[in-house]
Amino acid sequence: MPTSPELSSSNAATPAATTLPTPAPLPQVQESRRRQGVRWLVVAQVLFVLAVAAAGYATAAFGRTITLRSTPVDPRDLLYGDYLNLNYSISQIPGHLWRGPGRPRRKQAVYVVLESRQGNYEAVGVYPQEPTVPANQVVLRGWVADAFRRSIRLRYGFERYYVPEDTGRKLKPKQSLRVQVSIAPWGQARIKQVDVLPTSSTSPTTP
Amino acid sequence: MSRKLLETDGVEWVRKGIISPEQHAQLLALYPAEQRAIGLLPLLGSLLIGLSALSVVAANWQEMPELMRLGLLLGSLTGAYAAAEYFLRRQYEALGMGLVGLGLILFGASIVLTSQMYQLIGYDLTGLLAWAVVGILLTWLYRSQFVFLLTVVIGGIVQGYNTGQLGVFSYFTAALTAGGLGYYWWRRPDSLLGGVLATGLLWQAALLINHLHIKITWFFVPAMLIYAAGDWQTDRPAGRALQGPPLVAAFLFTLGLALFGETDTYAGELRPPLLAYLAALGVVLALSLWGKRARGRLSSATDWLLLLPGFYLPGGLPLAVATLVVLYAYSGSVLARAHHEHNPDRVTLGTALFILTTAVAYFKLTWGFMDKSLFFLLGGLLLLGLWWVLRRRATQTFSVKAPD
Repeated sequence: MPTSPELSSSNAATPAATTLPTPAPLPQVQESRRRQGVRWLVVAQVLFVLAVAAAGYATAAFGRTITLRSTPVDPRDLLYGDYLNLNYSISQIPGHLWRGPGRPRRKQAVYVVLESRQGNYEAVGVYPQEPTVPANQVVLRGWVADAFRRSIRLRYGFERYYVPEDTGRKLKPKQSLRVQVSIAPWGQARIKQVDVLPTSSTSPTTP
Repeated sequence: MSRKLLETDGVEWVRKGIISPEQHAQLLALYPAEQRAIGLLPLLGSLLIGLSALSVVAANWQEMPELMRLGLLLGSLTGAYAAAEYFLRRQYEALGMGLVGLGLILFGASIVLTSQMYQLIGYDLTGLLAWAVVGILLTWLYRSQFVFLLTVVIGGIVQGYNTGQLGVFSYFTAALTAGGLGYYWWRRPDSLLGGVLATGLLWQAALLINHLHIKITWFFVPAMLIYAAGDWQTDRPAGRALQGPPLVAAFLFTLGLALFGETDTYAGELRPPLLAYLAALGVVLALSLWGKRARGRLSSATDWLLLLPGFYLPGGLPLAVATLVVLYAYSGSVLARAHHEHNPDRVTLGTALFILTTAVAYFKLTWGFMDKSLFFLLGGLLLLGLWWVLRRRATQTFSVKAPD
């Protein structure tokens, strides 16, 4: 006679299951021990957030600063007026700079080698693996946003610049910007300063 | 039985003489009224005040000095945990755990907002990984269902961010979720947690398959590994709950194969290298069967019918028909087992699967050569007839069971 699995599991399990790791019920954590654990965990969380802030200062202090050319995308079309979308000269690069096998894939992480051209850094090569470069070049991490036949669109993560309200509205659509980016030796990067190029009378904005 | 039922219907039972007033009182004493920790109104009130504070902060966020923003984040973070401990000590369980969850969410928000404040780009995973780690540690410290569920969601968010923004899959996050939360579920089996955990892990598995750009059928190797873990769980309902999401995925996939498998291009998209795929799935099958045998549930091995790799068959009608046969065999086995087990919920499930399969089969095999109105008429009659037969069968099963 067939028995239901529920029954047979409790019956048949006895010979086999005794040799198996049958989990013992997990007791509650003792209240004093729990409170101590939580205290440590909260301290760790606070320290972690502080470490993120410290990394921000350290990147600016110890990082290598490079200058990039950029234009704001739709500065008047700000949702809350609190950030600018930036389009860099190195956001769109010609396809022949790709130094990997095959074609770049969307979302792929890449290493962009930059070199100074008249004060601004421009892309000279895009690699799938981190290359070693001479001292006059820097490597920036990025991601492939779109790969076309003749060009690659890249995303660097600092396309969004948070500014105090209204600053964005003072900018013209095609306004040229000079963006200073710090790249820390350990690989983090942050925007240090954004300057409006002198074609307009708008004052520079700093973070 | 709930106290509410006793309170409302109990009076009627006393009136009809089924139980005496004393027995009614005794029964009520068995189910003491739950301590309403906190009324709804004060809770809503504090929620509104919290929201207003939040909107004031959000509106002025960019204008505040950096240190003040940092202080606000850290202050609300520690405040939430401190308040949680305060209320937990006074036995307000739900409120306390809610505040722990708030603290955990605030930790994630603090990481994101602080990086944003310094325009900082991180290229590694540590930032959000810390969030998932804290979630798992809190789950273990508080042994709380709510924090467990929150951590499953956080694990999914962290992995989604990794693959979407950073272009990498964090195997560590996946292993941490599976290990840290999986082991918790293993030691404290629970149906709800099992179902949600399996769903969260399937989400991460799907992200992995998408990230690796491999055939989507590889998804079923990790999915069935989760299923196999359910076979080893001693607590049957919890194990079944963990197995639910992988089975739903496999069933929907097979249903899709029956509907669209006819075009060879679609089936071609599904074919991973034969030997590697079958070997990997075979290992998982062996693990699953071993678990079933050890726990005495070999009858549920029919679940694996859904994993028959029919997509290796040449496309066209034979593939569709073979897939439909598999679907029928599976829903039939669910029904048969449900009748054996006298489990009304599973009978309903099996009935639904059977009818769904029939609908697909009918649609698939007759749409082309039948007049539309006749098609719908016959289809409707077929489903109604099927429903009637299955209901009759179910009623018989349970009326036999009723006397004992």
